[in-house]
This record gives sequence, structure tokens and C-alpha cells, in this order.
Amino acid sequence: MQDQIPFQDESQVLVIGGGLGGIRTALDLAETGRDVVLIDKGYSIGGVMTQLDRTFPTNNCDLCTVSPHLSEGGRSLHIDLLPLTTLIELTGDAGNFKAVLKTAPRYIDPEKCTACGDCLSRFPECVRFTPGLDPRAPTCMRYPQATPYAFSIDMEKCTDIDALVNICPAGAIIPDDTPLTREINAGSVVLSTGAELFNPFELDIYGGGKLPNVVTGLEYERILSASGPTGGRLIRPSDKGQPKRIAWIQCVGSRGINKQDEPYCSSVCCMYALKEAVITKERFKNDIETTIFYMDMRTFGKDYETYLKRAEDEYNVRLVRSRPHSIDVDEKTSDLKISYITDDAGGNQTEQFDMVVLATGFRIPPETVELAAKLKVDLNPHSFVKTDPFNAVATSRAGIYVCGVLESPKDIPETMVQGSAAACMAARHVSPKRIEAVETDEEPAAERDISSEPPKIGVFICECGANIGEAISVDNLVEDMKKLPDVHIAKSVGYGCSKESLDNIARIIQEENLNRVVIGGCSPRTHETKFQDVLQKAGLNKYMLEIANIRDQNTWVHGDWPDNTYPKAKTLLRMAVSGVLKNRPLKEITLPINKSVLVVGGGVTGMNSALQLAEQGFKVFLLERSAQLGGMAGSIRKTLEGDDVRAYVDDLIAKVKDNKKIQILLSAIIVDHTGAPGMFHTGVHVGPRMQYMRIRHGAAILATGALPNRPKVYLYGEHEAVRTQLELDELIEEKPDVVKQWESVVMIQCVGSRTPENPNCSRVCCQAAVKNALRINAMNPGAGIFVLYRDMRTYGFQEDYYRMARERGVTFVRYEPGSEPDVFTEAGKVNVKFHDPVLGRDLQVEADSLVLSTGFMADDETTEELAAFFHLPRTEDGYFLEDHVKLRPIDLQTRGFFVAGTAHAPKTIRESVVQANAAASRAQTVLSRETISLGGSVARVDGKKCAACLICVRACPFGIPFINADGYSEIDPSKCHGCGVCASECPAKAIQLLQYEDDQIMAKLDGLFERKAS
Amino acid sequence: MKPFEPEIVAFCCHYCAYTAADMAGSMRIGYPPNVKIIKAPCSGKIDAIHIMKALEKGADGVYVAGCLEGDCHFKNGNNNAARRVKYLQKLLDEIGVGGERIAMITMSAGMGGRFAETAAEFTEKIRKLGPNPAKTAAGEKLEKAIA
Repeated sequence: MQDQIPFQDESQVLVIGGGLGGIRTALDLAETGRDVVLIDKGYSIGGVMTQLDRTFPTNNCDLCTVSPHLSEGGRSLHIDLLPLTTLIELTGDAGNFKAVLKTAPRYIDPEKCTACGDCLSRFPECVRFTPGLDPRAPTCMRYPQATPYAFSIDMEKCTDIDALVNICPAGAIIPDDTPLTREINAGSVVLSTGAELFNPFELDIYGGGKLPNVVTGLEYERILSASGPTGGRLIRPSDKGQPKRIAWIQCVGSRGINKQDEPYCSSVCCMYALKEAVITKERFKNDIETTIFYMDMRTFGKDYETYLKRAEDEYNVRLVRSRPHSIDVDEKTSDLKISYITDDAGGNQTEQFDMVVLATGFRIPPETVELAAKLKVDLNPHSFVKTDPFNAVATSRAGIYVCGVLESPKDIPETMVQGSAAACMAARHVSPKRIEAVETDEEPAAERDISSEPPKIGVFICECGANIGEAISVDNLVEDMKKLPDVHIAKSVGYGCSKESLDNIARIIQEENLNRVVIGGCSPRTHETKFQDVLQKAGLNKYMLEIANIRDQNTWVHGDWPDNTYPKAKTLLRMAVSGVLKNRPLKEITLPINKSVLVVGGGVTGMNSALQLAEQGFKVFLLERSAQLGGMAGSIRKTLEGDDVRAYVDDLIAKVKDNKKIQILLSAIIVDHTGAPGMFHTGVHVGPRMQYMRIRHGAAILATGALPNRPKVYLYGEHEAVRTQLELDELIEEKPDVVKQWESVVMIQCVGSRTPENPNCSRVCCQAAVKNALRINAMNPGAGIFVLYRDMRTYGFQEDYYRMARERGVTFVRYEPGSEPDVFTEAGKVNVKFHDPVLGRDLQVEADSLVLSTGFMADDETTEELAAFFHLPRTEDGYFLEDHVKLRPIDLQTRGFFVAGTAHAPKTIRESVVQANAAASRAQTVLSRETISLGGSVARVDGKKCAACLICVRACPFGIPFINADGYSEIDPSKCHGCGVCASECPAKAIQLLQYEDDQIMAKLDGLFERKAS
Repeated sequence: MKPFEPEIVAFCCHYCAYTAADMAGSMRIGYPPNVKIIKAPCSGKIDAIHIMKALEKGADGVYVAGCLEGDCHFKNGNNNAARRVKYLQKLLDEIGVGGERIAMITMSAGMGGRFAETAAEFTEKIRKLGPNPAKTAAGEKLEKAIA
């Protein structure tokens, strides 16, 4: 029996797949007032990321960073979350699709289920989904912050249905639950079903992945994870002992030519193997040896190269460049013998390990292929969704978009970026709803007046898995907190940021009539708003909260002082308790949002952002420093895939010039900047006459690009046969006759990148070298082409072209840092001398053309200047630093500011366009609102104490205070930036900065030194 | 007798120093647990009275950590802070507590390494200086009072 629900007649976006990409898309769309139906075939959303232990490059625990996003997904009014749901049919066209969805029975009402676990303890065999408690195989393990937070029943395994129904105290079990089919309207569709990980059981080698102590990367993550099957104890499967020597084998199932292999690179395995090794080293130091067997170390992402350096130099992770051919098992001990050959040592070597981790890559499951066929969406030869050459989220069918690993293998930040970019494209087909509804997802409870109540503090301490719980005893901490005066209740809350804990805290606040809350956990920078929401929900003013940062600033940094982490956690909590006593309820100030956007940089990135925003009806000011649009892409002719860049850029410029909503400002430089989120004022000098103009805007996108690196090495600028890849690109198009005459071409990779001066990888040079080598080979097949490289970083499908280049006779020769190729002139010709590690001898080649892969360097001057104007942080090498490298890769620290393109980090044109669209989506989430809340932390003057001495008027960096008609200083709270400089300068102590008043700071000091006084 | 472990208070601005401290956390770069952080929106918010009271209440060393020069989120709050610290150093020298017990340190939000490094250096410096005489005096007075 199937129930039929009539379709809803409002247009919305259908998002298929509730992994991180789909969640990001849904959240972005919801924040701009679009309705979203998010479906996932699983019992809860979250995708692969929720199974990881920690993520690179910050080694953060995922759960703590992802769970706020997930619970956002669970609660937003605009998002209809449908787990256990699949698409049956899609008809219609872009703007007017009709989708038939089928939801499988859960046999539990998620609204009623409290995940108490009573059903699980009595009938373990019937319960399909156990949030993070399951000691069974790692694959059926999920995580403790699941959304929706509910169990699911396997009715077929249930023999005594009545007993099962009766065991549930919430009455949530529905024994006659049925599948549900519904039809919905959708203006557009976003696919984000991700990929699965390669199953090593298909392997011919490595014992078919079935040897006892051989696990996959994901299984290793589960073993490391505090919510995993071993509770975070690192043990090997055979004897449950702690391994002493662990090996990782890279590219298992990827970059291969064997029958079970995929030819492409899975892009993330090098980083995840490094991360697993680093975390292992971090926890076990010299007790465990870590070795990674790899072919090329592909750490091409932002700051990933420095991560690799740290892994090698600081954590002593051993790297062996080799693809091992076999693993043998010792029958008695279950130890593993890896046999391998390296270039330099020669001959076969064997080495013994206790445990081997196979770094398996991504692969598209057959059901995705079926789904694509149903949707009439084209796939590429590797079964990933085929997309537009310059718009990586647009599929072959109008109105259907894709994000995440389903498009190509990628890591979390890139998935987040594509999620936002897909939202930007999908939003074009659906008009936004009443924006006011975006303002409050949940109706806040009426605020309780606590002015006459004596203090009643609740202290809640997170274990955060092993992050806090393993370093210190949270239970003891709870007991110590209970002894403090005014602490009414103290509790350990596991993962405090999980939906369950948040609800729990809200309930306790209400039940116990608490009027102040202290959280012991991670940084208030990331989680304060989350907990403030809880207070609000429970009817408390959100400023009655203090967070003691006992993770980021204690357990994470004092591993070398194990005896001191507990006392410090106690002190930090005592400071928070003492401080929260002085907290007062504050009122927030809201301001209207200006609906214009400033886009800085008129390259491909800036133009795409501008166009997307203008087409959504926002006024855009597009600022370009030079006299023309086009940026760096203007000097690139072809992409690796052979698409015409110039035609694309010309077309883009024409579209931008035609759009009446875009005001283009050429030869423009920024000279001043003031304002607050919602209403910024940026002064610019425009044109040759330097005319001054003041732009008002509510958001800004920085797309200022990077610079082509031009190091003076290898005779560059001295000999005409030496050129960069970019110059070669142009020469191939403009003077093919010259190229056709070359007999030998040498390319040198990593020139000016991965060096002490410019430590990071420039990401694009390997594919540029392969691209140009293939083009030269096509027009001049006789030419000998040598590519001298350190690691070939042709990630994803670029690997196809790398393989093609090798098949066509391009010679790739590796060099090590320290023994770089020797370049000199002999009889007027450029000669290159290098060592071939495979032949084991030196070679000398006379090069008709020496091509240097020089890559990018940050536009240090520009980013430094803009960072100063806009008060934004930068990375050490001069790129803009995003707010959160994993989860907010587009947002900058100041609300309303976003970064895209190579101003963020080196990337290809295609990747830059994705970021451009993502930034446009993120900007819309700000601009779609009518007002912005500025918080309550502003300066307030006590008129009675004020002597009108004008010191605050002079001290304020923004010129806000003035002497009013009553003769004392006045500070407009809607203009105050909340820095507190006036408060500290005021000689009469007439000014206090709310939330940081003198007595609040003193109270924290009292908390800190209490021990000394007693 | 237990070796002297200094109590250090670090007043950190939200935008740079506090973020850098969190960054040290996510990069797992260790520094001595003697350092206890109090967050402020800007280093320019830290008043003379906060620093002096910290020393009076029991700190052996106090530092104000803000953004790099020219990078202050609030334009120049960090310069105000630096000026104030310099002024207080003179004052502390005069009253015999010693100006070297306080310091102004700057860093950008991305410099987790620098946060840890400077925290360790400052702790080491104060360890060598020994306990804050103001505190010992206050302590003795207290002990006498109790006795």
C-alpha cells in the first residue's frame, strides 16, 4: 500500500544527497529565502565526513565543526529534510520540474523518538540505526550528533512486534509504517550524492584486502575516532594489540591500470594518509612508526604543502616513494610483510609492519549511474557527472546542477565551495520567498526578567570525544564546579554541540530556572552563537553566557604538560563562573542592509561573481585596478581539456558590459573604507583623473587574483629560448611554425614554488606542463619532450592527460630538491643537465626551448593594502585567510566580506569560476536579509561621570562620540564598532564597553587568582 | 619546595591574538599552561587598571596581545595598547615591581606558531625574574593578618 500526497504548488529546489555538499547548498538556498527539499537515502544526513576522525589541514575533530551545520540543516524552516528517500522519476524542464519521491518506512516517528536507546537494549537485532553506540562493523557506525536524531527499525527481523512497541516510552514506534510516495514541484535540482570508497575486496593484490591487519583509510579513521567501534583505542584487528609499525599504501584502486583500478587520481588520499599518520604520531609519539608508500605526494591545496613539511620534519612521518607490489602475512603473528622496489636502492626490499592502511579512493556506485540515466544527465568516462567546461556545477541538462565528489574527486573545502556555487545556480530558477521569514528559524521564547533573581549558574562541560574527555576527567571537573558558590547545577554533556545536548541544556535551563550559563568546551569564536541560541530558546538573554575554552586553549596545547591540563581547565572554568556573575542582559542593535555589492578585481572570478549577483537583481560595483577587464585569464589561450579560454573571456566581458546592474570602474584604486556590516562605505579613485567616488555597499567580494611568479633563475630573461608555460601557451597559438621546428623541449616544474621563499604548491603548473607537452606533441610529434618534476600533481581527471602524455612519448624525469637541474649555455644553445633516477645516470639535453613552470605568488602588495583597509587577516604567504578553512572557505572574518579565485589560493580557471559563483551565493545570504544584527557589545557613557573632556572623541578610531546638547559625551550604539578604546582611555571611567565592562574583567581575574587568596 | 611556576595573564584581542591562540590549538603547537587568556574585543580595550589589578591580584607577568602594527581590526587600538604598556612599564620600574613583568606582543590571526612561541618566551622570562614582589608582599601581609 502506498499513500499518495498531492504535490505542493510552491516552487522549490530539490537537493538529492545529504552529505556536506548538499547540506551547504540547502543552507545557502534557505538563507536566501528559497524553499528546499533535501532528500537522502540514508537514515540521517551528513555523508562521509561524519565518519572521519579529524580533518586536514587543521586536524580538527569533524564532529565538533560539522555538527552545527548538520543541526542547522535539521532545523531550518525552509528546508524539508527527508531521510530514507529516493527519487523515482523526474519530468518537466528547468523552472518547472515534477519529481516523484519515495520514502521508505522508518517504523519510528522521528518527532517522538528521543534516541533513548531502550529499543536497542532490548531488541538490538531489530534496530537499524544506532547513533554512535554500535559496536558492530565500522560501516554501520554513524555518529552521535545524527540529524534527525532518531533510531530506525528493521521490521523484518522483529519477531515480537507488540513487545517492541511497548518498550518505547515515547510511543514512537509505528509497526504499520508504510512507504510514502509523493510528488513535488521543483524549479531546479542539485545532485550531491557523492561517491563511495573503493572496496579493496576487489583487489587481485594485497591479499584482496582481506588480510587480518589490513584496513582501509576510512576504517582506520573509525578506529581512531572516539565515537568509533574501539572508543578511540588504536588497536589492530587480529589481536587487539596496539600496533608499533603502521604502513599506508597510496593509490589503492586509483591511478591504476589493473582491471579493478580506476585511472583517475582521487585527489584526497595523500592528504588523508598524511593526516592519519600525523594524528597517530601526535597521540603516540615514538611508540608508533608511520610509513607512507606513495607514487607522487599530491599536497596541492591551500597550505597543504606546509602540512606535508610538518608531517616529515616535525612528526617524523616516513615517506617512501614506491608502489608496493605485494603484502604477505605471517600466519602465526598476523604481521604483514610489504615488498617494494625504490629507484635509489634498487632490488626488491621487504619490510615488516603490524598494520597496513590502504588509501582507497573514490568511485561512483552503480545506483548513481542509474540515477543519472533517470535524470538524463550525461556522465564522463569515469561515471562522474559531466559538466560545462567553464561552469563545473552545470550538468548537461538545464536546471540540474551538481556539487561535491559526484562532479570530481575533491576534499571538504572544495565540496563546500561547490555546494555554494550549486546553490547560486539553482537559485536562478526559483524566486525567493518572503525574506522576513529567514530572520528567525525558531520563534525565540519570551525573555525572562532575571533582574531580581539571585544568581543561579549552570555549568555544562563538553567531552568532545577524546579531545577533552581523554586529556582530563570531565566527571571530576563537574564535581569541582559543583563546589563553587552560585553554581546550581554542573553536568557533563558529551558533545555539547550535538542537537541532543543543545536541547538538553535548554531543557535544564528552563527546568532549573537557571539565569546564567557556563560552557566548558571549544572556542567561543566558533561556537558562541550556537550556545547563545540555546539560551534564547530557553528564555534567557543570550549574553548571560560564558564559554571556557578548555579545548583549543588547553587540552590541545598542553599535551606536553599532562599534570597541568586539569588544573588549568578548572581555573578557566572558575574564571568563567566568576565572570558570568557580572554579566547583564544586553539588547542587540539591528541595522538595515544596503543591497549593493562591491566586487574588487575584474578578472574571470570577479566578472562571474558580478554577473551572478547582477542577474539576481543586485547592484554591483565592479572595480578593476588596470584599464581593462580580463585579468590573468586574458593571457591564457587553452585549457588542459582543450577549451578556448579567450573566447570564453571575451564573451564574459561582453555580458558584464551589457548588464545594466553592473557599474564597471576601471583604473580604480581603493583609498579609504569605513562602515559596519550591512553598510560599508568604500572610497575609490577612478580613472586617469583619479576622480574620488564613495561606494555604499552591504557586501564585498575580493577577487584580486595572484601574480605570475617570475623568479630570475635558469637563464630566464637572459636567453630567448627560456620562457614560462604562460608564454609558451601563447607561442603555440601565435607562432606554430616556431614550435614545429623544435627538436627538443625541456620543462622544469616547481620553479619558484615549494621553495623556502614560496613554500606552497602552485597547483596549476603540473597540468599546464602536461597540457603544453601534449599540444607540442600534437603539432610536432618528432620533438623530444622532457618534463623534470618533483611530484606530478595531476589530480582528479588531469591524471588522464598525464597518462596520455606518457603514452605519447613525453619523458617525465624526477628530480629532488637539492639536486635541481643544471642549466647553462653551450655554443649559444641552452643545455640542461639532470640526473635520471631510473637510469641511474646523468643526462644532458640541448633544449630548443626551456620552459619554466613558474606558478603563482600571492599579490602581496595588493592583499596587504586591502587587508589593512578592510581589517582582514592574511596567510603567512600573503593570500586572504578565510574564516574557517574547512567549513567557511569563502567567508572572511568581517561579515559581508568574501574571497574568491586566486586571491584565496592558486587554482585553475574552472576552479576560480566555481569560487566566484560560490562567493555570489554567500553574498546573497547576507543581501537577502532586510536587517543585520550587530550584537549588543557597544560603548555606553554614564552622563553623570562624564566631564566632557573630549578624550573619547579623539580616541575613537571611527569618530563616533560627540558632546551632546546636555554637555556630555554620547555614543550612537548603531555606529559603535565595539572596540572599547574609548572605555580604556576615559579618565573619569564614565564609559563602559558592554559585555566587557571593568567589573566583568575584574571578576575573571578574581576567578583566576581565587586559589591564591584562599 | 616546589619550583616557582609563574602565573601569566594574557589579554588577547578577539581578531588576532585570540584567534592565533586557537590556531596554535588546531595546529597542536604547545606552550606552557601558565598562560591564561582573557579575551577582549581589541587590545586597545585593555585598561591600565586591568593590568595593574592583575599584578595586584596575583599575576607574576601580564601581557597584552594584539594585531600586528597597521593590521588592527579597529584601525589603531593596538598602538594605544602598546603606548599604555610602555607607560605602565615605567611606572612599574619606579615602584620596584619591574617593567619587564608586562609586555605588548603582536601577531596576526594566522600565527599560531608565534602565539605559542611568544607565550613560552614570556613565561620563561618571568620564571627567571621570580615571583612578583607585589604579590609576595601582599601574601606576607595576608599571612600575618591570618596569624
